[in-house]
Amino acid sequence: MSLFDSKFYDLIIHPEGSGSIARMAFEAQRYGYSGIAVINTQVPDKETIPPGFSIYRDIEISCKPGRLREEIKKHKNSGDILVVRGGDEEFNRASVETEGLDILLQPAQFNNVLAKAASDNSVAIGFNLGLLIRLRGDGRVQELIKMRKNLKHARKYDVSMILTGNAHSVYDLRTPREMAALSGLFGMTPKEAVDAMSAAPLGILKRKSPDYIQDGVEII
Amino acid sequence: MKTIPTLRDKKRYIAFEIASGEAINRQQLFNEILTSFGSLFGDVGCSETALQLLSFDGKYGIIRCAREKTWETRAALACINSIRGVRVSILVMGISGTIKGATEKFIQKTLIKELEPKKE
Repeated sequence: MSLFDSKFYDLIIHPEGSGSIARMAFEAQRYGYSGIAVINTQVPDKETIPPGFSIYRDIEISCKPGRLREEIKKHKNSGDILVVRGGDEEFNRASVETEGLDILLQPAQFNNVLAKAASDNSVAIGFNLGLLIRLRGDGRVQELIKMRKNLKHARKYDVSMILTGNAHSVYDLRTPREMAALSGLFGMTPKEAVDAMSAAPLGILKRKSPDYIQDGVEII
Repeated sequence: MKTIPTLRDKKRYIAFEIASGEAINRQQLFNEILTSFGSLFGDVGCSETALQLLSFDGKYGIIRCAREKTWETRAALACINSIRGVRVSILVMGISGTIKGATEKFIQKTLIKELEPKKE
């Protein structure tokens, strides 16, 4: 059995316009994904998405570090995936220390204290591979340096990792194998990449399902 | 003169499909692949991989690379996002050890699959 036989999910997609969600869902299924999550957009009707494919909803929170805790508490029980885009150290610290957050995407400044807090509150670290696709030269070098550092901390403190393409159009989507190849650029092994695209997103989705009560307890 | 068989480099053939808004020609595509590979791995990486575009018909194509460099080639292909201002994305369909294998297993299979629904 190949490593790439699991179910894959891309949890951060920015569709532009309502018609493009259906097209993206169709393309993503052809590329080998089982589900996607769209940011700050209403999930379309069941008829427009292909059968056997699921679309979830993300809420991206952007505010001042002081208000972050309230915002996360407000959306915590909505059943949607909460995403925060990484910023400076104060902001990252406020986000990983709040329980209920799911993904901290591409934090620029990350250290052992933040990694430990993220591990305790089960916040996943998101790696934004879309940046590697779009940027060239110095910009890409800087992003690779950040990712390498984040990977080191995530490995040491056992923080779960998420790979995402951060796609804005169908041309930004990549197959799971290509994502694994891109993650290899900053030292991730194929096994870790597969876990970051299937096991970790499934864990988040399980936590968000209505039957879930707490770790190890759920309604059957 | 030909290289003797024991000294010949081992190769892999990558079958790919390109999705683009407008038609792309062969020269533009290969230049973009080389640029992308060059900016990711540099000239040394390029020479070790020995990339060559073998066939390209506007949608499907086959590219040749060194056996040990398939992941790097995949990454370089994945990094391509536009060719002369036209948005494109390259989907790798599969990797094979022979040209025949790459054509039969991946490209022809896809073409047959596309034809079937029309017959019904």
